Formats: sequence, structure tokens, C-alpha cells
Amino acid sequence: MNYAKQTAPYVRKENSTKRMMVDVLIALLPVVVFAIYQFGWDAVVRLVLSAVIFILGEVVTTFYRTKPHPSVKERKEKFKVRFKTLTINNITAPLVSAIIYALIIPSNLSLYVVAVGALFGILVVKAAFGGLGSNIFNPAAAGRVFIGLSFTSQFAYTGIDAVVGATPLGAAKDALLNIPNLLQNYTVLDLFLGNIPGSMGEISALLIIIGGIYLFARRAADFRVTLSTLVSFSVMMAIAAIAVNGNVVDIVVYQLLAGGLLFGAVFMVTDPVTSPVTKPGRWIYGLLVGSIVAFIRLFGSYPEGVVFAILLANIFVPLIDYYKWSKNRYSVKFIVGYVVALALLGFIVLVGLGGLN
Amino acid sequence: MIEKTRHIPDGKKERKNQPVSHYLEAEYLYFPTTDLRCPAGESCVIDGQYVKVGELIGTRHGGFFDQPIHSTVSGYVVGFEKKVHSSGQTVDCLIVKNDKKYVLHESCVSRTDEEIAALTKEDYIQIIKDSGLSGLGGSGFPTYVKLETKNKIDVIVANGVECEPHLISDYKLILERAHRIIEGLTYAMRAQGAKRGVVAVKKKYPELYEVLENARHSFMDFDIEIKRVGNHYPQGWEIETIKAATGIQVPVGKMPSEYGVCVFNVATLYGFYRAVKRRMPITERFVTISGNGIKTERNFSVRIGTPVRDLIEMCGGYTENDKNKVVICGGPMMGTNLQSDDLIVTKTVTSLIVLDEEPIKTEPCIHCASCVYSCPVDLQPVQIMNAYKERDKDALAVLNVNKCIECGLCSFTCPSKIHLTETMRQAKRFIRK
Ligand code: SF4
Ligand code: SF4
Repeated sequence: MNYAKQTAPYVRKENSTKRMMVDVLIALLPVVVFAIYQFGWDAVVRLVLSAVIFILGEVVTTFYRTKPHPSVKERKEKFKVRFKTLTINNITAPLVSAIIYALIIPSNLSLYVVAVGALFGILVVKAAFGGLGSNIFNPAAAGRVFIGLSFTSQFAYTGIDAVVGATPLGAAKDALLNIPNLLQNYTVLDLFLGNIPGSMGEISALLIIIGGIYLFARRAADFRVTLSTLVSFSVMMAIAAIAVNGNVVDIVVYQLLAGGLLFGAVFMVTDPVTSPVTKPGRWIYGLLVGSIVAFIRLFGSYPEGVVFAILLANIFVPLIDYYKWSKNRYSVKFIVGYVVALALLGFIVLVGLGGLN
Repeated sequence: MIEKTRHIPDGKKERKNQPVSHYLEAEYLYFPTTDLRCPAGESCVIDGQYVKVGELIGTRHGGFFDQPIHSTVSGYVVGFEKKVHSSGQTVDCLIVKNDKKYVLHESCVSRTDEEIAALTKEDYIQIIKDSGLSGLGGSGFPTYVKLETKNKIDVIVANGVECEPHLISDYKLILERAHRIIEGLTYAMRAQGAKRGVVAVKKKYPELYEVLENARHSFMDFDIEIKRVGNHYPQGWEIETIKAATGIQVPVGKMPSEYGVCVFNVATLYGFYRAVKRRMPITERFVTISGNGIKTERNFSVRIGTPVRDLIEMCGGYTENDKNKVVICGGPMMGTNLQSDDLIVTKTVTSLIVLDEEPIKTEPCIHCASCVYSCPVDLQPVQIMNAYKERDKDALAVLNVNKCIECGLCSFTCPSKIHLTETMRQAKRFIRK
């Protein structure tokens, strides 16, 4: 018998990164099935294409990132050493990104563009930063923004983000007031069930919520970011509605359910790798995403408002996590700061939409 | 998963129901003359001398205190040998050959109630000092030093929580000796001039509450409360026990005595009873042998000084497979890894765990923050790990790595199986340099 050398603790919890990824995949399943039901082969092809690119990209880059010990000379041996470093997470993690990516593009986007975005996401945004756990930006979001900006003409956009978001500053007020009319074309129930045009996965709020509940129940995602995103977004929209003398409930519900917000809030901002690591930090992160989405929708003209907001907020994560102020306790300072930030941003919305005139 | 981990599967249910075997048959007993706190020591007996139970046979010298060593059996002194101490060190041990007659030393006569009533604080300190009592919760810190505090103590907390998985020695002690523990608590209260005593036990053990509550009724002159506290880990950590038992929040790094609180483990209080009432040192303790690397798991009550190998043998030895064994003295969260099973039961040995070694494969950190959520001291293990990788001393200091109590929760909870606790230890060593 030999004595093993270990240090305390000697026991580990029954959990794993793999299980977390698989949980996300399970949560995505209803949305995927619905996308395939709605868009048929168009959806299947785009899902498979992104999956192949993401997984291959991850596997190949991880493979060559591993440097076998210099003593290992032979090619075959080197291959073996490298092969051994691959784990199931080199499949599950990129698969999650791939599916999310495929679900936030329109179903008729040309395959060539899909591939370019996927390659950008996995190679530039993930692998170049050091692979699993080291990327600063959400690969799916970055891929989506990249093609959004490079191939603008390819997006024959019929989604609601186009209606909601693609409005020049001056017209924001009209667009908001127009929402009750829009609601006559699409009822709230339609929005909820997904009987609306839009990106593949973004359209059925109900299925996204089901997926979200599963994720939170399994603790595979942190509800704090999602909640903070939705709360701050709703506050902004409510203030916007007041500013233009619109119907607050109609506008907020419509804005919440339409477009990519819900999908992003459940499946994208919760990506732990690109989130801060403290509870207050996660609330701040959600606040950033929620209010940036609101600002883009109200004042900007990018249909990919949510992904853009996530990328912008990603930039702030290292700042939020800076060791000099990151704390895991909710302090009075944090609560006051959160409320004040919310109020300030709300005030800007109010002024911007002419609510004070 | 992304959540605060507070519960650890503890396997106590099975162990609780197993009977305790009294083992008095050890042929030779070993008494370390040095240990981690006491680098020097000597014996005051000679080879071949006959000693009795409770007789002083030597002294360990620490930096600012001495610890007497007592024999726990009667028999002949037969020399020295090197054995393994619970800290993992190999130390010199005085050997006593057991004649199994258990003759009591003449000095061990009970004190009468009148004698006890007349004792002053100084007397108590001397009595405890002479009995060699030390923190039996695991710290091994000499108890009399704690008594010498200049601060005014209002409340004494008896810690019966024992939150580490696998361990049930305090549990068994409370069940069998509740009355004496409470009596010990009253002595501790008298020694410190404390008005109040609180005994903390886990909520999930109503049977402990029952026996303590019954015992409490024999000491109605004292304000003693039995408090049922949470079941989670690390509820037995001094600061959490104090918080749960009295509501007093002692900041990490401060002495509880500055806040008028003093904590003793229930086994230590039992030691108070023995020393004050019986004029006897602690001679026995409960030891659990457990883990999947051992044939049958058993509980023992043994004399201090018993070699653990005897007990392993009685458990049927190790399971026979080609796996390496992880031998742990203490609990699975904070215990010490031993490189030999040649261990001696000292006062602070509560259990020996033998596990089959399973390789733990780590994955990259995915920033899930479970470690941050779970840390009882509110540290950010993942950030400390990153700062340590950068060898950033300033960041490590600001992140308070020194406050880490090495509870093991961060490693336990990490879904990527990163050994954060070990990194905390390395980081602590690094900034001390
Ligand atoms: S080992 Fe240290 S850092 Fe880790 S959870 Fe315990 S106290 Fe916190
Ligand atoms: S070290 Fe482990 S528990 Fe901590 S954030 Fe990283 S993956 Fe999560």
C-alpha cells in the first residue's frame, strides 16, 4: 500500500463544469426545437454550421495551445499528449456558444456570413484570449456584432428590433407612442408565444422563460444578473413611457417581450466567464446591460442592441472586479449607488425624450 | 453550481448509530515529549520506573508555556521511540508498557464541594495548568493561557457543534457525559467570573439538546442556556458559533475575549470537570476510524497514547485494492494528511480517515463565483488565486488572504475542481516572505 499525498479538503462537491454546460444546453433545447419548428431546414442548417465551426475551432486551438514537454519529441507522442488535454468541456462549452449564436441571427442570413461570424467568435474572441474561462467578451455576442457591422446589407431585417430600435433620435417618441398600434397587429400573447418575426431563438418569450427557470433552479446561472438587467431595463422603459405620456404597462411589456432582450438576459448575460465574481458586481453588471439596451433602443439605431450592450458591459467587468473595491457583501454604499445610478440614467432618459418640456 | 455551499454530506448518521468499543488492551502506550507548539520536552521518569494512571511523567516546553504529560495507564517506562504526531511530524515518544491494572495515582483524589467553592481564579489557572488541559476542539492551545486573559468575560460558550463531516467524538461525549460537561462549564464560569454560559449544539441533534437540558437542571444556580444552532459548515468555527450562540459578532482576527466571550470545546469543559473535581487529567477520548479505505468503520474510546495501528487492525485493516490510500488525521475538510499510519492518539486526535485515492481532474476557472459565494470569511478565492498567479503582493494584502481560515469550502464547491484552499495557503506563505 502506498500513501497518497493530498492536502485538505479531501472531498469535493458532486458538481462539475460539465454539468453546468449541459444544463445550459438542456435549457436551450425548447428554444431550439421551436426555432426548427418555425424555420425548418433554415434553422437546422445554421445551427449545425455554427456548432461545427465553434467546436472545431475550439478543439483545434486548444490542441495546439498545449505545449508538450520538450522531452516529448516524436510526433505521435506529441499528438497523444495534446489529445489527452482535451476534455468534454472543449465540446460542451463551444456548443453552448454556437447554439446561442445561431439563435440570435435571422433564419435567412447567408451561410457564408454565418460562418464568418462563428469563426470570429471562436477564433478571435475566445481562442485568442486563451480559451475556456479566459475570454473577456461573450463569443456569441461578439460574432453577432461583427457580422452585424461588416455585412449590414445582408440583414434584411424583419424583426421587431428593427421597428423598436432602428429609429433615429427624433423619431423615438413617435415609435414609442406607436406601440399600442403595433400591439394591435401582434397581441401580447403573440409576443409571448412567438408568433412574430425575429431572430430564430428570440421570438418565444414563453420558452425562454421556461429555459430560464430551469437554469436558475439548477443553479447553472445566476439569477442576479438577469433580474438586474430586466429591472433596470423596465425602469428605463417606464420612465420613457412617462416622458412621452404613453401607456406605461403596454410599453414596458412590449419592450420586454419583443426583440432579443429576454433571450440575452437569460442566456447571454448569465455566461459566468464574462460576468463579475461578486454579488454586488453582478447586480452592477446587469444594470449596465439593462440600461445600455434601453438607451440603444431609445436613442440608437442598432437592431442588435442586446448583443452590443453585452459587449459594452463586458468591457467594464475587469473594472467592477478590481480588487480594491470588489466586495461580496452588500454594503449600504452599493445599494445607494445602485439606486442613484438607476435614478440618474432614468433622468437622462426623461430629459432625452423631452419629458421635462 | 452558482450558489453558497453550506452543507457537506457528513456521513454522521451511519456513524452515530455504531456502538463505541472501549479499548483498554493496548500493550504499549506512547506519549510525545514534543509537538508542533512545543519544540522541546523532557521526561521526569527513568527507564523501568513504575508509573500509575494520572502520574506526571514529563513536560513539553513551548515558547511561553509548559505542558505537563501524564500517564494514562499503569505500567513500566520502557524507553523512547519515534512516532507520528497528529500534525504529521515525527516526534519522540516516551513508552509505557501497560500492565492493564489501571492503578490510580495517589494524587488523584476528588475535591469536595467546599474545597471547590473556596477556589480563586488563580487556583483555577494553576489546576488547569497542572492538568495539561489544552483546546480539544483541535487547536491544542493550552487552556490556562486562555483563562489568564485580562479582559472581563461575560459569557462562556461551550462549543458542541463539531461541524466537520465524519467526526462524532464530541457527539458521543455529550451523549455520555452531558452532566459532567455542564459541571465543567460551571467551573469555567467560576474561573472566569462569567455570569452566563451557553452550550451550542446542532439543531439536527435533538437528543443532544435533551440530555444537556436535563443536565442543566442540576445546576440551577447558574445561568446556563442550551442553544440549538445551524447545521451548516463551518458552524463550529469559533466566530460563527459565537454569533449563533450569543449574537455577538466578533470581527475576524480579533480575540473573542475582547468582546467578553470565551469559547471552549465541550471536550475541554469535560477536562475542566476532570481537573477540578477529580484532580485528574484527560486520559481517554473517542476516536472514529472511517473512510472507504478501511474494511469496517468503527468508533472507539481509547486511552490517550494508544497507537492507531492497533485500532486499524481491529477494523480489519485496509481495503485491498491497488489504489493509494489517503490517510487523514482529523476531518475531511481540514484534517492533516499523514504519510504513515504510525500515529499516536493524542488529546486532539478525533478521527482517522482512510480514503482510496481518486484523481481529481481540474478544469479552467469559469468565473462562476461559487467560491466567492461560499467563503465564510467573505474572501474572493478566485481573485486571490489570480493575484497569486501574478505574484501581486499588494492585491493579496488588500484581498485579505491572511483572514482565510482554510475551511476548505472554496475547493469543495468549485465546479472546476480547482484546489483553491491550497492556493490560499501558498499565497499566505508567499506574502509572509
Ligand atoms: S479556505 Fe479560506 S478562502 Fe476558502 S472558503 Fe475557507 S476561508 Fe474562504
Ligand atoms: S475558482 Fe472555481 S468556484 Fe471559483 S469562480 Fe472559478 S470555477 Fe468558480
